[in-house]
Amino acid sequence: MQALEPGIVFWILAVVILVSGFLVVTLRNMFHCALCLILCLFAVAGIYVLLEAEFLAAAQVLIYVGAVAILIVFTVMLTSDLASESLIQHNENGTIAFVVCALFAIGVPYLIKNTGVWMPAKGELISDNVGSIGKYLMTDFMLPFELVSVLLLAALIGAIVLARKERS
Amino acid sequence: MISPVFAVGELDGLFRWLNELLVSIGLPQPWQDVIMYAALSATVFGLLALIALFLVWWERKIAAHIQQRFGPMRVGWHGWYQTVMDALKLLQKEDIRVATRDKVVFFWAPVICFVAAFSAYVCMPFGRGLIVADLNIGILYIMAVTTFTVISLLMAGWGSNNKYALLGGMRSAAQVISYEVPMVVSLLAVILYVGSLSMVDIVESQSGWFNWFIFRVPFGPIAFVTYTVAAIAEANRTPFDIPEAEQELVAGYNVEYSGMKFAMFFLAEFINMFTVSAIAATVFLGGWNGPWLPSWVWFMGKTLSMVFLLMLVRWTYPRLRVDQLMEFAWKFLVPVTFANLILAGILKYLGYWE
Amino acid sequence: MEFQLPEYNLRMMLPEIFLFLWALVVFLFDLLSKRRSESAVGYLTLLGLLICGGLLATTGYGRGFGNMFFSEPMALFFKIIFLGSAFMAVGSSFGIIKQKIVNHRGEYFGLILLSTVGMMFLASSQELLSLWIGLELTTIPLFILAAFFKDDKLSVEAGIKYFVFGAFSSALLLYGFSFLYGMSGTTEIVAMKMNLAALFIANGSLGVVPLVAMVMIIAGLGFKLSLPPFHQWAPDVYEGSPTPIAAFLSVGSKAAGLVAFAKIFVNGLWAFWGAEMAPNDWGYLTGILACAAMIYGNVVAIRQTNIKRMLAYSSIAQAGYIMIGMVAVNEWGLEAVAFYVFAYLFANMGAFAIVAIVEDKTGSCQIGTYRGLSQSSPGLAACMAVFLLSLAGIPPLAGFLAKYKVFAAAISLAGQSQDYTWLYWLAGVGLLTTVFALYYYVNIIKQMYFSAEESPYRIKPNAPAVAVVAIGLIGVVLFGIYAEPILQFVKDIPAAAGVIPR
Repeated sequence: MQALEPGIVFWILAVVILVSGFLVVTLRNMFHCALCLILCLFAVAGIYVLLEAEFLAAAQVLIYVGAVAILIVFTVMLTSDLASESLIQHNENGTIAFVVCALFAIGVPYLIKNTGVWMPAKGELISDNVGSIGKYLMTDFMLPFELVSVLLLAALIGAIVLARKERS
Repeated sequence: MISPVFAVGELDGLFRWLNELLVSIGLPQPWQDVIMYAALSATVFGLLALIALFLVWWERKIAAHIQQRFGPMRVGWHGWYQTVMDALKLLQKEDIRVATRDKVVFFWAPVICFVAAFSAYVCMPFGRGLIVADLNIGILYIMAVTTFTVISLLMAGWGSNNKYALLGGMRSAAQVISYEVPMVVSLLAVILYVGSLSMVDIVESQSGWFNWFIFRVPFGPIAFVTYTVAAIAEANRTPFDIPEAEQELVAGYNVEYSGMKFAMFFLAEFINMFTVSAIAATVFLGGWNGPWLPSWVWFMGKTLSMVFLLMLVRWTYPRLRVDQLMEFAWKFLVPVTFANLILAGILKYLGYWE
Repeated sequence: MEFQLPEYNLRMMLPEIFLFLWALVVFLFDLLSKRRSESAVGYLTLLGLLICGGLLATTGYGRGFGNMFFSEPMALFFKIIFLGSAFMAVGSSFGIIKQKIVNHRGEYFGLILLSTVGMMFLASSQELLSLWIGLELTTIPLFILAAFFKDDKLSVEAGIKYFVFGAFSSALLLYGFSFLYGMSGTTEIVAMKMNLAALFIANGSLGVVPLVAMVMIIAGLGFKLSLPPFHQWAPDVYEGSPTPIAAFLSVGSKAAGLVAFAKIFVNGLWAFWGAEMAPNDWGYLTGILACAAMIYGNVVAIRQTNIKRMLAYSSIAQAGYIMIGMVAVNEWGLEAVAFYVFAYLFANMGAFAIVAIVEDKTGSCQIGTYRGLSQSSPGLAACMAVFLLSLAGIPPLAGFLAKYKVFAAAISLAGQSQDYTWLYWLAGVGLLTTVFALYYYVNIIKQMYFSAEESPYRIKPNAPAVAVVAIGLIGVVLFGIYAEPILQFVKDIPAAAGVIPR
């Protein structure tokens, strides 16, 4: 199995993710930021494909690119302050945040790489990952799966309560 | 990894020959794969370009005959290569670019639209073995890549810096997102029954007499109708074509585009229509299954019948209003499709028509 | 494909299922009665909570959904606390829904119920995934409830602040969980403990990754428990959101965070951590946070002029005291935590109920409003004084016993083990800050009783609010004097949580 050897595709995706992620938080035009976010999320889906998690990749594209990102674009378009040309995305806390994030970004991979203590995965990778995800959702992980629907119901009702225009 | 299926039915010999040629001249393995993929993509791309050109001509003829005129008649027999000439004309036209456009967004919008429309065909089974890659997430993949169309429309609307374009883009995004829900859920009813997302598995489960899902199971016809309605909306066609309503929005998101870029939007639209028809043919109408004739003939026949249906609808019905459109999606189609999905689940559990 | 369906055993989760369905009933009732009823929805909600309590009493111990859902003493005890806090929050909401919430009464009560359902599932989960989803189900309705006065800038600010902090903390928590999952290859807490122990034996150490995971989980839960430095949201959110929701946040949501903490750290990361792996990493970290919470919360509370902000800082400090019990992982630690939360429930919910009553009448939460309250409404003032004294930990009220048990647990563990001598310091800080705390609690009593002028407000609370205050009063006084049944009940908790007496 050579899939874990990072090939050229991985590096291309990694560069795309990092550059577009950086652009999301630096560009002055919010619409461009949203588009970069879409690119970033799409490239992450590419990483999932490399890891042979096709279902996750498709779900990532369908949910993040197809729904979440489009909602963000809508919000940008419908909010006049956001749609105006220039927007400054940083404030006086920027330096501290940068230092913390940089430490985190360097530190965590370093720690992970230098800690050899991980539970080894059992057996082969499952080839039919759509089927096995479905199986686990319906058997072992049924309770969280059902709970998520309660959670979504609460969020749905809450969104309506907050967004609805009141008749006085 | 996704393994490419190089055994491509009737085209098999040609690709086998190409592969042997590549091996014999001693290219390293990665480059062989790259060239094989490129050849496959070029084949599919060429085929789809031809289909799109044909569909444009066909639509014009149908429209004309419904309105009791002839349509294009001059260029060739019944004007059969009219669209080829039109395409050549569009290629030569000046690429007009509005001064106030958002440069990058304006440029990339048609490209993304075009690529999104074509990439759905990676796992479209044109016939027995005629598939680029039989992904195990097949139909989910198609649904995922086609969402990029929405983004391209929004980009076109924003990039043009024109109020009509922006309104058109937003309307279209709202519409496509809303109708994606009933569309996917009506497909889910069948997927639940098949137990696989792979397009090939879906087709193969429908082999035999009257095993097409539209006939075989009680929920089939309902799912087919809801899917077709949602698909018309997905393809932005009348009666759901408010994103480009001429009278209100001039031409919607593509009003500022001309020449080559306009042609890309235009072709992508027809490819999208073909895509939704092909999915309908595959999922509900048995795909390539059918007696006597070769499999790809059956597939093309069914898909083109669906396309014909969509065209008839377009030239027969008036356009809906925005609010009617949204209400229809959320208050009628979504509940019906979910009820249908529950029905499918119950039937599957009871073990009927397996 | 082969399916091995889990043994559902739905009987075990009957109370949760009932409460969820009841929330739907509340939504529908409000909708179908055309939103005309002013308080019927509220009474319906109270009835649902009572029935759910009854069902809880008849549910024994056991498990459901394979290894996903455990009904054990700690879960049961905390579920009672959740239901109690929801009951008291709903009971003190009647004034507000009459005056301020015109349109969405059903949603207001239904979301409280859904949040309670989340807490109850959280208390019963023995697995990181359902634990996290339970925590989300607890928090997401609270985001909305905090911003429920849409026209009030402070309330919207509260909602947004709580949402941003809550979302960020959930992300941190989940990131921490992913490290634990990556190391142990399982999300089940008990299996995780076994796998980590096996890894420890095989490798001789676990490296730094568990520490990274712990830091992130403590940060994530620290937001929920409002432990400094993750507390900044609390005062603003308490101030802006509807008063009963602030009360629910300070007791229900905090107790949910505590259960999550106990499950992950005491159940999952402690027991094998025992003698040979002595430096109890999360213990040190939590100890520092608890120390910061006690000092910061109590000192800043002194300077507050808004009673809701003062109670917010007081609840930060109380979280610090509770964490002392959590760090003291001996046979008394968890027991003390459970009893502390129980006593805190009555005192804090009662105090907030009175704040809500006064706010309904006067429209103000300034401490100045309470000046001379003893002359115009003596009963209310007396109850408030009792609640505040219990929060301060004055005998013979329940708050005193709770504080005593927490400190006793810490000191006894410090005496038992060399590795835990630092707990002396922690208990010392706790005792010292209790004195600070007395100052601002007594300040309010001083305003109410020793003020020359008489309060211009003559307050007549509505019946449910009176009931809530009465419940609080009975709880604070009764369990301060006669706590034996509760103490008997909480004795089982450490054993069930896997804290083996040494």
